[in-house]
Amino acid sequence: METDKLAQLRSGDPVLFAELVRDHHRALIALTVPIVGISEAEEVVQNAWLKAYQAIGSFAGKSAIRTWLGSIAINEAKMQLRQRKREWLFSDHSSEDPYTEDSLAQRFTGQGQWQHPPALWHLDSPESLLTGEQLAECLERLLTAMPDNQRCILEMRDASGLSFDEICSELTVSSANARVLLHRARTQLFKLVDHYEETGEC
Amino acid sequence: MLKCRDVVNTADQLLDGDMNHRQLLAIKMHLLMCSHCRRYVRQLRALLRAIPFMYKKASDTEVSKVMEHVHSHRDNYP
Ligand SMILES: [Zn+2]
Repeated sequence: METDKLAQLRSGDPVLFAELVRDHHRALIALTVPIVGISEAEEVVQNAWLKAYQAIGSFAGKSAIRTWLGSIAINEAKMQLRQRKREWLFSDHSSEDPYTEDSLAQRFTGQGQWQHPPALWHLDSPESLLTGEQLAECLERLLTAMPDNQRCILEMRDASGLSFDEICSELTVSSANARVLLHRARTQLFKLVDHYEETGEC
Repeated sequence: MLKCRDVVNTADQLLDGDMNHRQLLAIKMHLLMCSHCRRYVRQLRALLRAIPFMYKKASDTEVSKVMEHVHSHRDNYP
């Protein structure tokens, strides 16, 4: 974010804040759904926006704004669970061999060479890779069907940019297990995009 | 010698900058010789950059709902 825009935002400019809401609201919803469930995510995110507005003067601009907002939203989600005396059951079991089960497993020979290597993707801009109309729909289906624990770590790490340390302490998950879950989530996405780039459908 | 399968398994760590010298050397040697894995790593990096942008923008209704909520708590402003 440019410095003067940041200064304006920090002074509480409502127009700029509304822009922020437009850009990040859906991501914050997606981030909190695995924690509080779809029915309460909106309420949680509403409260997170209020906290963010009250604290915007202290946003230093050192981390990405999404990361800052993401931490606030996760806090709100956890507070909601405490208020409702509910526990967050993050399932952390990954007893199986971490990698034989990933979505790209079928793409290799028994010797571990590529049998079906990745297609060549059109890489125009980060904004455009996942937003093609048809792909966006398939992506949404994939994310909805993804196990909660994988989805949760993907949203925290890749969509919101939280550090592994922060994720592990939020989720009380070991860093090794967090990495396995993230790897599984990422390979599912990779496979989807690869198929779409290769065939034009998904 | 690393196999392609190993590269896919450890590419996450590579992109996170979370590898020791020996691992880094091994993966770089493999990438020098394997165009499939070079492509995998390049495209994975692009995918990770694209993930934060995968969400649609919020609708006008959603934005005004949030802004109303924010304004209804005006007393609590810093
Ligand atoms: Zn290879």
